[in-house]
Amino acid sequence: MKNKKIRIAGTQGFYGDSPMGAIMVALENAADYLMHDALAELTLSILQKDKLKDPKLGYARDIELHAAKLYPICLANKLKIVSNSGGLNPHSAAQKVKSILAKKGINNVKIAAIDGDDLLPELEHLKQQNLPLLNLDNGTDYRDSEYAATHANVYLGAQCIKDALQQGAQIILAGRVADPCLALGILAYEFDWDLESKAQESLDKMAQGIMIGHILECGGQASGGNAYSEWKQRAYSFAHLGYPIATVDQDGTAIISKLKEAGGKVSRNTIREQLVYEIHNPQEYITPDVTVDFSAIEVEEIAENEVRVKGAKGRLRPEQLKLCIGQMEGYMTEQLFYFSWPYAYQKAQAFVEAAQETWAALPFQYEALRINYLGINGIHESAAPSMTEKQIEALNEVGVRMAFRHQKAADGKRLIQSIVCLGLNGPPGMTASMNWGKAASLRLGLFPTLIPRDYVTINITIY
Amino acid sequence: MKTVKLIDIAAARSGDKNNICNIGVLAYNKEAYQLLKTHLTAELVKQHFGSLIQGKVVRYEWDAIESLNFVCFEALDGGASRSLRIDSLGKNFSSHLLRLEFNIT
Repeated sequence: MKNKKIRIAGTQGFYGDSPMGAIMVALENAADYLMHDALAELTLSILQKDKLKDPKLGYARDIELHAAKLYPICLANKLKIVSNSGGLNPHSAAQKVKSILAKKGINNVKIAAIDGDDLLPELEHLKQQNLPLLNLDNGTDYRDSEYAATHANVYLGAQCIKDALQQGAQIILAGRVADPCLALGILAYEFDWDLESKAQESLDKMAQGIMIGHILECGGQASGGNAYSEWKQRAYSFAHLGYPIATVDQDGTAIISKLKEAGGKVSRNTIREQLVYEIHNPQEYITPDVTVDFSAIEVEEIAENEVRVKGAKGRLRPEQLKLCIGQMEGYMTEQLFYFSWPYAYQKAQAFVEAAQETWAALPFQYEALRINYLGINGIHESAAPSMTEKQIEALNEVGVRMAFRHQKAADGKRLIQSIVCLGLNGPPGMTASMNWGKAASLRLGLFPTLIPRDYVTINITIY
Repeated sequence: MKTVKLIDIAAARSGDKNNICNIGVLAYNKEAYQLLKTHLTAELVKQHFGSLIQGKVVRYEWDAIESLNFVCFEALDGGASRSLRIDSLGKNFSSHLLRLEFNIT
């Protein structure tokens, strides 16, 4: 079919995103595919905590709600779902979705679990190999790391998505497929693009597929959410935001739009803002499938809420794949206290001074402490512009936020408990957030590195 | 001499990759983009953030969408998973950059 067009909606930007954008698109039959990116850098660490508690977990749990409320609409309207929601447990995810759909009487459905990205079981063996695993940020070697690994996942490319669709999958629950490769896999399947080809024409199409995936991967961030460029003239609602939909041609040219009835906006500005998001060199955007040069792209607003994107150029993909290792580095604790006018800032400072004297006398120490004064230097810390004495005097209130790094889980609570007495013993009027003394958070550090492709074997299982 | 406020001529969006923060700056038009290219240097950005950015700042020009991209190394207190900052993901590096002003003749 010469004029075939494929519509992909980017209806999940993170684990925990609202399902409403996806449900609206599915009800309106406004796409052929829903692309769901559930995995940010940190998400796998969160999923690992789930999996340690229950070996059947480890996937992005919003698929349970999706299976009950969204997938039935998609299946009835012939939309397919392509996701990396399988996280650390794609097989368990597929079985869970299968059973939820079966309870609704939906049995004739093909669900693909894709794995092979999880190298945690091989990590000790890998450490014994004569293979440097150098940190992409600071050059240290993972083999020297003293911390226990919590997860180790390779960023996979688009081929497994194309293959799963070829095997008839209607719902794909993959592990750590790189975010934009979800879209490229769909397009490669639909338009029969050869992902192994080194021809320039093929590389350019792949580059377009990656650009489309990059625009869609953060959902509402491409359609009016988190957008300074639309702030001043904003006339749309943030509630019930319409998620971005790409209508793609055989050559990879795409028009980004959204449901007319939904909130949000698609403009040249919103697309530009998403294009710059979390990228480094725009001439060298590295993915498992192709290295993309965005420098000659054309981004044109062709109608209200319609933006055409084309012109991404491709170069050969890298020899190695990115491996992200999570490691258990300790714990963190955060606590908030508040002081009101008069003398709000002085009282906050006196409180902090007393707290530090108290901690100095404890039989254990924290690794690091951060104090922020909310309303003064909370978010921008030392870079926040200084305030005059008069401005500080006039503040209605000041919050004290303290955050610690510590080694033992219980130490966070002990640090906070040791200073709560300052409510009665300290500066007038101290009040604390309701959840004071809550349990510490795990401090899971990320160790990004590279690994040769032949260490990875990808499996597709149809349930 | 005239003072230009960045917030009047551009938008910005920032995000994280472990300990690296990138800030994309989008000029509202071609003239504004020329001003940014001339005046909004990597050095100025690094200076504006002071000790929040421990490493270097690299600037990329992106003419096709009238944008500059600043890649800030060692900028996120070790990365979101270990950071003690409120803005652990660097989402407000964009906001802070928009405060910047520079002089033109």
